[in-house]
Amino acid sequence: MRKVLSLALTAALSLSLAACGGNTESNSSSTSPDATNTSKNSNSTAETRTLKLAALETAYGSDVWKEIISGFEKANPGVKVESTIDKSLEDVIGPGMKSGDFPDVIHLAVGQPKGLTETFIKDNNLTDLTDVLSMTVPGESVTVKDKLIPGFTDTTITNPYGDGKTFLMPMFYSPTGLFYNADLLEKKGWAVPTTWDEMWELGDKAKADGIALFSYPTTGYFDSFFYALLNEVGGPDFFTKATHYTEGIWQTPEATQAFDIINKLASYTEKTVPANGNKDNFTKNQQLILDNKAIFMPNGTWVVGEMGQAPRAEGFKWGFTALPAVKAGGDRYSYTFFEQIWVPAKAKNADLAKQFIAYLYSDEAAGIFAKVGAVQPINDMAGKLEGDNKLFYSIYDGGAKAAMGAFATTDPVEGVSISDTVFGTVDSLVTKAKTQAQWVEAITKASDQLRGALK
Amino acid sequence: MEIKKGQGRFIFFCVAPAIILFVVFLIIPTINVFRMSTYKWGGYTDDKTFVGLQNFEKLFQSDKFYQAFQNSLLLIILVTIITFAFALVFASMLSRENLKGQNVLRVIFYIPNILSVVVISAIFSAIYDPNSGLLNAFLNLFRGATSDPTLWLGDQKIVIFSLAGAMIWQAIGYYMVMYMASMANIPESLYESADLEGASRIHQFFTITIPLIWTNIRTTLTFFVISTINMSFLFVVAMTGGGPDGSTEVFLSYMYKEAYTNSSYGYGMAIGVIVFLFSFALAAILNAVTRREHLEY
Repeated sequence: MRKVLSLALTAALSLSLAACGGNTESNSSSTSPDATNTSKNSNSTAETRTLKLAALETAYGSDVWKEIISGFEKANPGVKVESTIDKSLEDVIGPGMKSGDFPDVIHLAVGQPKGLTETFIKDNNLTDLTDVLSMTVPGESVTVKDKLIPGFTDTTITNPYGDGKTFLMPMFYSPTGLFYNADLLEKKGWAVPTTWDEMWELGDKAKADGIALFSYPTTGYFDSFFYALLNEVGGPDFFTKATHYTEGIWQTPEATQAFDIINKLASYTEKTVPANGNKDNFTKNQQLILDNKAIFMPNGTWVVGEMGQAPRAEGFKWGFTALPAVKAGGDRYSYTFFEQIWVPAKAKNADLAKQFIAYLYSDEAAGIFAKVGAVQPINDMAGKLEGDNKLFYSIYDGGAKAAMGAFATTDPVEGVSISDTVFGTVDSLVTKAKTQAQWVEAITKASDQLRGALK
Repeated sequence: MEIKKGQGRFIFFCVAPAIILFVVFLIIPTINVFRMSTYKWGGYTDDKTFVGLQNFEKLFQSDKFYQAFQNSLLLIILVTIITFAFALVFASMLSRENLKGQNVLRVIFYIPNILSVVVISAIFSAIYDPNSGLLNAFLNLFRGATSDPTLWLGDQKIVIFSLAGAMIWQAIGYYMVMYMASMANIPESLYESADLEGASRIHQFFTITIPLIWTNIRTTLTFFVISTINMSFLFVVAMTGGGPDGSTEVFLSYMYKEAYTNSSYGYGMAIGVIVFLFSFALAAILNAVTRREHLEY
């Protein structure tokens, strides 16, 4: 009996070690230099209300949030904002929320490594923010809805339950597409391809010069690429059917065309990319573009700041284009990536959180964000931009169509992740560990499993 | 009798805090893991649905789980065998052979153990870099510069072995020092007698050294095997994130992903229960297989 007990304790210890393993990461992240910035005065009094803000520290930095908080506090005497701004926000606020301590407002987009936002969506754990749209922007006479570019609050991301209600508000947006070194193409006399056939021709020419046609930071970057491609091959209706797991959708000629293009692109991809396609080494894959070792990579406008200090080939100049069309004269798409801000269902100050969100769309707040290159989907905002951003955000003026949305929300299906299945497999296509047929079969299977769990 | 009663109270008073901490922080959470594995739950709300053993049923139908199981098992076997073989051989050499710079070698071997997993992962990521890494540069001396560098962290067929390499490098020094301490206690007279009888060094290693430190080997083996489950998770998180395409997913990384990324907390806990039972079974098997007569000297 003693022996059995000791063995059980050994095994239990291993389980607790597992828990420690999980904690190790969160502990280390919480000690980052710019970790939790918590206001010293956190007590709510009768006169002072406290709003708890949690925001992911992205390439835009954390100082911008401090300026926003200062502006909001100034406009709302008696309101104090406690902020948690961290690069590993999910690790920092996750444990507290498990014990019931929820921030009032969270700026964290879908598609993050730990999928915290998706968890809240799947759990129906969000506050309905539809009424924020009809709120008057503080200090102005227009409503939030009037200030927003149409379409941003009609997507499957902002309205995840398909009931016309907005649960996540759009924050910063960025056109995504293919980034390249414009100087390299100019020097080589190569034109930017407008169709996929031209793309493959360029790929062959580049190969002869020892340059790969394509690179990608991690397979996660294929989300925006894939969504734009689905729109190109079948239009918006097809995109909607595909992202809602319609039966048989992956066996249609349109889907096959999209799979063929990605599979062919995999064969033109720099071979070393899968080895660095993880959260610690992905910039090496981006560096390939700066070093003229690869031509195109899917990315968003943040890449310019992210690689701002990186060495680069002489004369390097960022170029940016929408995805090539599937046929000459066909539609070209650029997926619009945008971040979201939302309020947990258990937020103690949901009303104050809504006021804060409304303030974020004010000219004052938009101006503060714009200083660090964070562009909000506010009317006329793109016209105020300069430099590289002007080039990037004018992509839709050049004829490219905007694609928005993502795979529809489902109840959790154990062991099934559509993003891992669709995008994660691209590594295997590059290394040839899996065939296109295996890929499509896995997507079909995952899609079948998720269909019945649609929200 | 009264003295004994007093002693009992004193012992209970001394041990009670430890027992309370042990129950609160180990036993209750472990039981809770078992309980949560029977629920469908996202992890952040009170909205739990009791599903009985359904999570386990799904688990045993999942290809991803089998891949994680296979990877974990491979790492446990590979890393344990190689680490222990090298640790024992190096310990024996440094204990018995009159090598120059022995103390320096001891320190060098022990250094990886004091480095954090993150640092080791960064070192090995640099070594494994397909373009500028030390390993490919070294191999190119023999095979010539190749247009297709080996993708140590990108090729699904070899990436798990690359992880094993980093884990072995980290562990050898610690166990080597442990065995050196045990070997130091073996009376030199035993080796002198063996020398006189013409036994080779290898023969002495297997007939004197190993049997006399067997208790130590046995204890460390169980500990190491169990801790490899945890260490493999840390290395996977730091070096590959489970990729490429899930090819380095191990027990705990799969559990973590399901519980925290796929909003399937109950399912994640079911994986935790399997890890518990697997560790339990492994410890039992190791205990049974490594049982030997205790030798005294």
